[in-house]
Amino acid sequence: MTRLPLSVVGGYLGAGKTTLINRLLSEDHGLRLMVLVNDFGAINIDAALLASTDEDTIALTNGCVCCTMGADLFMAVGDVLDRAPRPDHLIIEASGIADPAAIANVARAEPELSYAGIVTVVDAGQIGGLLDDAQIAPQIRQQIGVADLVVLTKTDDVPGEVAALLAPLHPRAPVLLGGDRVTPLLLDVVPMGQRVTPSGHPAYTGWHCACPQMRDRAALQDKLERRPGGIWRIKGLVQTGEGMIEVQVVGANCELRAVAGGQAPGLVALGLADRVTRAEIEGWWSGT
Amino acid sequence: MASTTLFRCRRIITMDPNRPEATHVAVREGRILAVGDADCVWPDQEVVQDDRLADTVLMPGFVEGHAHMMAGAMWRYAYVGYHDRIDPEGVLHRGMTDIADVIERLRGHEAGLPEGQPLVAWGFDPIFIEGDRLGRAHLDRISATRPIVVLFSNFHLMCANSAALALAGYDRHSNIEGVVKGLDGAPTGELQEMAAMFPVMRRTGIDFRALTQRPDVIETYAQVCRRAGVTTATDLFAEMEEADVDTLLRVTGQPGLGLRLVPALGAAGGDPERIAERALALRARSTDRLRLGAVKLMTDGSIQGWTARVKWPGYVGGQPNGLWNTPPDQIFALCAAMQRHGVQMHIHVNGDEASDVSLAALEAAARAHPWPGARHVLQHCQMMGADQFRRCARLGVCANIFANHIWYFGDQHAALTIGEDRAMRMNAARSALDEGVRIAIHSDAPVTPMGPLFTAWCAMNRTTMSGRVLGAAQRITVGEALYAITLGAAYTLGLDGEIGSIETGKIADFAILGEDPTRVAPEAIRDVPVLGTVSGGEVHLL
Ligand SMILES: [Zn+2]
Ligand SMILES: [Zn+2]
Repeated sequence: MTRLPLSVVGGYLGAGKTTLINRLLSEDHGLRLMVLVNDFGAINIDAALLASTDEDTIALTNGCVCCTMGADLFMAVGDVLDRAPRPDHLIIEASGIADPAAIANVARAEPELSYAGIVTVVDAGQIGGLLDDAQIAPQIRQQIGVADLVVLTKTDDVPGEVAALLAPLHPRAPVLLGGDRVTPLLLDVVPMGQRVTPSGHPAYTGWHCACPQMRDRAALQDKLERRPGGIWRIKGLVQTGEGMIEVQVVGANCELRAVAGGQAPGLVALGLADRVTRAEIEGWWSGT
Repeated sequence: MASTTLFRCRRIITMDPNRPEATHVAVREGRILAVGDADCVWPDQEVVQDDRLADTVLMPGFVEGHAHMMAGAMWRYAYVGYHDRIDPEGVLHRGMTDIADVIERLRGHEAGLPEGQPLVAWGFDPIFIEGDRLGRAHLDRISATRPIVVLFSNFHLMCANSAALALAGYDRHSNIEGVVKGLDGAPTGELQEMAAMFPVMRRTGIDFRALTQRPDVIETYAQVCRRAGVTTATDLFAEMEEADVDTLLRVTGQPGLGLRLVPALGAAGGDPERIAERALALRARSTDRLRLGAVKLMTDGSIQGWTARVKWPGYVGGQPNGLWNTPPDQIFALCAAMQRHGVQMHIHVNGDEASDVSLAALEAAARAHPWPGARHVLQHCQMMGADQFRRCARLGVCANIFANHIWYFGDQHAALTIGEDRAMRMNAARSALDEGVRIAIHSDAPVTPMGPLFTAWCAMNRTTMSGRVLGAAQRITVGEALYAITLGAAYTLGLDGEIGSIETGKIADFAILGEDPTRVAPEAIRDVPVLGTVSGGEVHLL
């Protein structure tokens, strides 16, 4: 059975998580998405979008025995996995105070899920006040620190003071969405094993390699660790001396696992156009 | 005409200062017709004398103001806790003090299970167990083939045997946060937090949602309550979807349940306005047996888990301050919305920063939308001092204090969490009463076992498990403690006009006791036997 990709959208209340998810739902990606909502913004997921695109949303109220195991969210993930047919992608909108990593970790633990990234949404106007508030700043810093991608909202550029606030919290500069499609960033648009160059959209750099080969798993691991910082996503199958290895890179997260042979190898990568070029990716992969 | 039953008792402790003691109580249509002696009923009434309670002492049915329905359903799993516990059927389960005990007990359970069915246990707490940490190897000795899972008492951790780990594909190649590995590189069996626990739970059929609001679960909860002499109990964080409410109405409406249930709608997520609307819609569906309309707010975590939000100087071990489950500005937003709509709130506050923020939110709400009779309740109140209780008194906010913590975790609090000086004034019932706060005391079952007389004992004696007294200055009297588990708790639920004392006109809810708790030594009150309950005039002897 194919694994269900899970993305977690985190960020404080009002940062724009729901707006981001609504934008994703409205784009033409042809995927059946499932959205689990666990926040005060729950009601704002655009019902018309869901209805029109055969997608589904479940609102949760975070219920559990007194000292909050947070169990209900995971039980709901189990329900999604039990659905037939399964959706193509699961998106969890974390509550405004939740640690998105505590949720996304289930994608690494559960064999039927695959990790598709943590996107933490930051409101450019709100973040200064939040980081100044001693009562909640530690939890806000955690949300940003664990992100694979930080998306800055409610601004047209990255204000210097915001960049300075975020720099110590996250190694990568935040991303602005502007008018670009968000699907390539949030979703795994390239089905496994299919030789499709990802998104020809100018805001993104796509790269693919038809039959990647590598001496051994350790060398592959080593190469992936030295990947250009501008790459957001790498996915595919690599033939090694130890058999076929599945590669999943999302932001800072890199996962390798052995899979059965018989599938055609292939590797795709995606990054933001202003962060990485195709030549850089090619140079990295074919270099030593 | 409806018949009148006259119960004769050894003694009746009424909690009514006008007639503190009596020997007879007459009941008609589930209510108290008269209290007094053999002649308390008006002469022309036809009376059926009931002598079944003649040797017993009657008190008002106890009111558990903070517990959870899963207190009953947990017993479908094998108990492996440190403390003795009595299950809903009345069977005593001896506490297990070391891992050998735990293995021995689980072997017994394993032998009785059909082939292929996972063995699930609950209540394990390593804080009390000396020696080795519980691991996969221990559980493998029970079975190498049957999946075995031990849930820890805080539900944040579990231990699985090799068969259960294999179900989730956890092995030495797993590199997953929360899957603990030993020096040999293989998983030890311990899984931390829900993300890592979930794959094993999913494959061993553990679904916490099945432990609440289902018919059998409600019945088991009622059983737990009857054994404790409790006739009214809360379920203090309920989802209450439409189908759940139908189930609750149906099951609580059945004769013979013997319980008045007070669920509070969980308000941890969602739009405050919509939560208030839902609470009001629920309130309109209340019956005598099912009292709906209140909400429960979460704020911080727990002190023993170092997730409570505590004020300076914080935790003595230098742990970082705890976590908000609801951020302060949302606590303010929720308090404002509930207050404006006239929805009563129960607010979980363990650390003193959480109670401080909640009081500030309640003060702001009270200024914006005055509502003198609101009776919001701070729940747990574990680190509140006289200053915060004064703010409660001024606002008319009640405090439901977690007295059981003194015995169960008092030693740990003094040694490991907030230190001796602050532990001595934890769960400060004396200060609360002295400042004029309406209080209740609670068990938070299943966190600690339900038993209002035990809870009263804790508040009166403040003895810890090691046998020492922790904060003698905060002890309360037997009268105050008995009030807290009857009228005091009823007051926090807005039911003091109907239950909580044995007075003419009130509902005939009684606890049937083997001895008079006002005439035993203070340290013996936890041993007063509970023989059953009378609920709405219906006798339930154990
Ligand atoms: Zn609580
Ligand atoms: Zn509780």
